[in-house]
Order: sequence, then C-alpha cells, then structure tokens
Amino acid sequence: MAEYLLVESQGRYAGPGSRDFLGDAERLAASGHTVTVLLIENGVTDGVGTGAGTGAGTGSDAVERLLEAGVRVWADGFSLEQRALAALLRPGVRRVGMDEVAEQLLRPAVQGVWH
Amino acid sequence: MGGGTGRELPRADMLIAIMGAPHTGDLVTSAFRLAQALLERGASVHLWTCGHATGLTRTSLGDEKPRNVVDWARAYPTTAALAAELLAAHPAKLHWFACRFCSQERGADAHIPGIRLRAPFKFTEHLEAADKSFFLGVC
Repeated sequence: MAEYLLVESQGRYAGPGSRDFLGDAERLAASGHTVTVLLIENGVTDGVGTGAGTGAGTGSDAVERLLEAGVRVWADGFSLEQRALAALLRPGVRRVGMDEVAEQLLRPAVQGVWH
Repeated sequence: MGGGTGRELPRADMLIAIMGAPHTGDLVTSAFRLAQALLERGASVHLWTCGHATGLTRTSLGDEKPRNVVDWARAYPTTAALAAELLAAHPAKLHWFACRFCSQERGADAHIPGIRLRAPFKFTEHLEAADKSFFLGVC
C-alpha cells in the first residue's frame, strides 16, 4: 500500500475544494493506504474549533471524519501563528514544523500532493 | 544524470514546481520554507517557476522591497534576494529554473544569476530527473 502526504492549503472558506480534497484523503485511508494530511496556509482553518468550549465553532466535519478514519492530521505551526489560531487547534490535530514535513516527504515511500 | 537531449540535468530528490501566482497568498513563503527544510536535510532540489511565479527572481526587483512607511528603517528582502541567498547557501544542491515562455510573455526574462531559463517543453525532463515532484498551485 502506498503512503501519502496530502497538503491542504486553502481551507473550507475558499469553497468546496478543501472538503473534496480531504474526502480523497479519507477514501485513500479507507482503501488501506497510509495517509497524513498537512493543513497549511489558510488550510489550518480546518484544524481549529471543536465546539467543546474553545469558542472556535464546531470545526470542520471533513477533519472530524479524517480523525475517525485514523488519518494523521498535521497543522503547520507557522501558518497557525500567522493567523493567531495556535491556541484553537482541535484535539487530534498535531502542530508540526516544516522540518517534519520535509522529513516525511523525503521518505522514499511517501508521495506528496498539494492542494 | 537525467535528460539525454541537449543539456543534461542533475538528478534531484525533489522537484518543486511553483505554478501558482505569488502575492495571492502564502504560497511563496511555503515554497521557500519547504525548499530550505529539504536542502538543510541534504536533499537536492529542482525548483521550477511557471506563470507569474517566474517574476520571483527577476533582476529588476533588486535586493530590497520599497520602504514600509510605518517602519521606515527596516529593510525587507525581495524574493529575488531570498532566492539568491538560498542559491548561495546550497550551490550544489539547489537548481532553480524558470519557464522561458512564461518569463518572456511577462517581460521578466532578465533573472538574477543562477536562474536558468528552460523551454516549457523541457519540463518533462525535470520530472524524469527528480525522484519526486511537488506542484504548488496552478498557473
């Protein structure tokens, strides 16, 4: 089975593309592939908000489904800081730096896709 | 060595193709951050700019952006200066190419030293020369 790093850079407020792309991640995981999703730039808006007292809304259903499907969901720390969203990261989404992203991309089995 | 038709290309661990227009978002920042992180891990990188992204390294940008009226003394480097810095720091590992057609179409074919102009038809050679390719944005 293949290993993927899917990078979402737009987020749910930019249109349906984000939901569809994260849906692809969910389907890849359901097919048995190992999937990591990185939320970056405005894509980090999908990684905030649990509704559980964070004051950040209910969050992204697509990310919720990813987490339930066992997909690793990362959020770029720089993008979070730029948008003052670091404190609102939802449980289950891990903050990472570009170092970790580069390490992941350089692993021979991993294929990266940017959206 | 890849290529085989004309100039040969060095092999690369990663091809980063910046297709999206700069200044519409954080794409360029992400591209620089990713390239730097890869290079610091010893990876070899081809960086290809297409469309408006070819303007990132045009000579006319100079070294500094226009002054910030609310922070007069601070100097902000241009993308051309950042590219030059990255190229100088990793001369053997980073190879930066700009699409000739896109550059000329925008009057931006005068690039800083270290940027090689390539015909769009040569792009497939870069795909062959790199173990992985990563497309950022669309033209």
